[in-house]
Amino acid sequence: MKPIDVKIQPRMGVSKTFSLTLNGIRYRLFRSAVTVGVIAVAIAFMMNILAESLTKAAVATATRERTRLERRAAWWAARLSGAGSVAEILEELASAVRGDATYSEMRAMGGLDESRMAELHAETARASAYIAFFGGLEHAHRRILVHGAAGVEIFDRLQDRTRLAEFSKRLAELRSLRFVTPIGEFEGFLARWPRTRADLERIREGRLAAISKLKDALGGRPVIERLAEADGAFGEAVRAAGFALSAEEGAFVAAQAREALEIRAVEEIVSRPEARRLIGARLDMAPSDVNVQSLWRLLGNRADAEWLLRELDARGMGVALDADRVRRLARRKFEEAAMTRAERAAAGTGGGILGMGERMSWLVFASMIVCVVGVTNAMLMSVTERFREIATLKCLGALDDFIMLMFVFEAGLLGLVGGLIGAVAGTAIGVARMVVVFGWYLWTAVPFGALFLAMLISVFLGVVLAAVGAVYPSLKAARLAPMEAMRIQ
Amino acid sequence: MDADAISAAGRTPPEGSPGGDSSRRRVIIRTVKLRKEYVKKTVRTEALRGIDVEIYAGEFISVMGPSGSGKSTFFNMVGGLDSPTSGRVFIDEVDVAQLTAVELAFLRCRKIGYIFQEYNLIQYMTALENVTAPMAFGGVDPDAARERGMSLLEIVGLADRWSHRPIEMSGGQQQRVAIARAMANNPSILLCDEPTANLDLNTGQEILQILRRLNKERGVTIICATHDHRMLNICDRLMWIRDGQIERLARRDEVRIEVGSIGGRG
Repeated sequence: MKPIDVKIQPRMGVSKTFSLTLNGIRYRLFRSAVTVGVIAVAIAFMMNILAESLTKAAVATATRERTRLERRAAWWAARLSGAGSVAEILEELASAVRGDATYSEMRAMGGLDESRMAELHAETARASAYIAFFGGLEHAHRRILVHGAAGVEIFDRLQDRTRLAEFSKRLAELRSLRFVTPIGEFEGFLARWPRTRADLERIREGRLAAISKLKDALGGRPVIERLAEADGAFGEAVRAAGFALSAEEGAFVAAQAREALEIRAVEEIVSRPEARRLIGARLDMAPSDVNVQSLWRLLGNRADAEWLLRELDARGMGVALDADRVRRLARRKFEEAAMTRAERAAAGTGGGILGMGERMSWLVFASMIVCVVGVTNAMLMSVTERFREIATLKCLGALDDFIMLMFVFEAGLLGLVGGLIGAVAGTAIGVARMVVVFGWYLWTAVPFGALFLAMLISVFLGVVLAAVGAVYPSLKAARLAPMEAMRIQ
Repeated sequence: MDADAISAAGRTPPEGSPGGDSSRRRVIIRTVKLRKEYVKKTVRTEALRGIDVEIYAGEFISVMGPSGSGKSTFFNMVGGLDSPTSGRVFIDEVDVAQLTAVELAFLRCRKIGYIFQEYNLIQYMTALENVTAPMAFGGVDPDAARERGMSLLEIVGLADRWSHRPIEMSGGQQQRVAIARAMANNPSILLCDEPTANLDLNTGQEILQILRRLNKERGVTIICATHDHRMLNICDRLMWIRDGQIERLARRDEVRIEVGSIGGRG
């Protein structure tokens, strides 16, 4: 018999390892499916939260933009009726872009030269950031720092040297807070504040003067009624008074104002008892229960709308609108309601990761932890129950790396399949839920790109987590002497 | 060999030494003061308390003893499956403790075949795949491996079942596949841990016959931990372990003389 001489054991090829792994997965299909299921649920949970957060954030942004446009006429009406406070002017200027209509209008009204206006613009941006900081503080912190003052009041208050010193001291003590800028910059800002404030006051006075110039053009009628002619004589008057109302904007505002007036006219129908009785009979409800909403619901249907207009005409209460127009108005009301709902549901977004809002960011973070624990646990279980197999393979001459590689492959595959299922399911459920919340309005804002990216990340996370979850126990098992591994079981 | 043994008995060799003149027989496994302790929390259990034994190439040795006597532990130490607390195991004068993980894998792959009480076949592999697995780990070409695997299955009488998975086979068939697998790389040593414990009388007998044949025809050294008294009929030497120590080491012919008393002992 030949004597034993010990040499180096050759390594198993990667492709051979992979095919062996596949073989194993196929055989343990049920167990593998359970593991995949656990991974899928964990990933789906995370992806669901992620999808909802992303959708909400996107809808919030879209809604903000839409509402700004939708309420253009209302905005102009407000601007033409009052000059607003210094704080409002400050925010308006801070959100303006240098050189745009609002910016130029303010410069003209304040009688400021170009360089001073640029300075003032920068100052308002800074002021706005400070105000946002103070606004975001907890009540207790705000009381400690500025004795409960808010907005521009704070800057006025801190003009006092002793108060500023106290503020700096307290701010330094509150270590958990991170102020927007170094305190020195804030002190510089405060030193310039009286001048900034004076300039803002000048703009305000300029605006007051412009509004008083409009008195004649208004002729004592509500601003919104006059705005219906913003594409005509009234628009000219507004421009002459010094407001930056372009022809385009004028036409847009006029159309919106007209629509608002029409809506008001239609809604007035409900105030007449006879009309209420008619509508009530048609909708099978008590006349006293008929309100604006039921009216719009009725008008959303073409046949009903035609019928109602006919009936009203016959009773001499007609509105000067045809059925198509009324129906379009009904649809706008419906859209508006959806948008309001979206606005309410998307409240609290902004800030946090990807603009998802603090609460949502926390949820995403928590769900990620749940996902990590879930996936790791699934893999740990499936490896631990195979300690005997690992021990046997070692008895047959398997190297530690082979065993590791085998489990990493297996975990990666299970993670990939589980991750894919989970990502798709989580996104589908998330988006479906958002459809229920936001209705049709959602489709204008679904962030497909971001969702796809989030899905990729989730799948990747699933694979990596599964691999990591498998590596530790399989490494542990592979390092042990075969019999010790068998004994653990 | 039997003739040798008989003549050796006549010359009254030292107790437990094999028949024939020992210079002619190579020591393949030697243990020196082999100790193993298990520590579970604070409880220390001494499984082996200093075992010194020499096992010769080509012999069939049975390790007997009640459960908990340490015979499985001894088996694991000798097979390089577990590391001793102190003492040494030499396999062909190579100190197992000095081997690296990769060398150990080489040793387990080619030099030692293992047979377990629970068969320990890989569940997702067919009989043939199980038999060829050690060859794959040893780097044997797949075609050659398949051919050799089939001939091994033929030896254990399962050539027609090569494509069955362990779950489709009886315990005896599984154990036969395990034997074929243990022989895959022509090992010098076959370690059997209670190979017949889970099997009925007849099947167990078949397994023992196969082991005996391999020992005779191929000259494989067989170390077999067992309670099975039928082993008496086929082994060359017997070793009794009790409380982690060698209680007795004897040649079969020595034992047969006093067979009546042995029955009570095992």
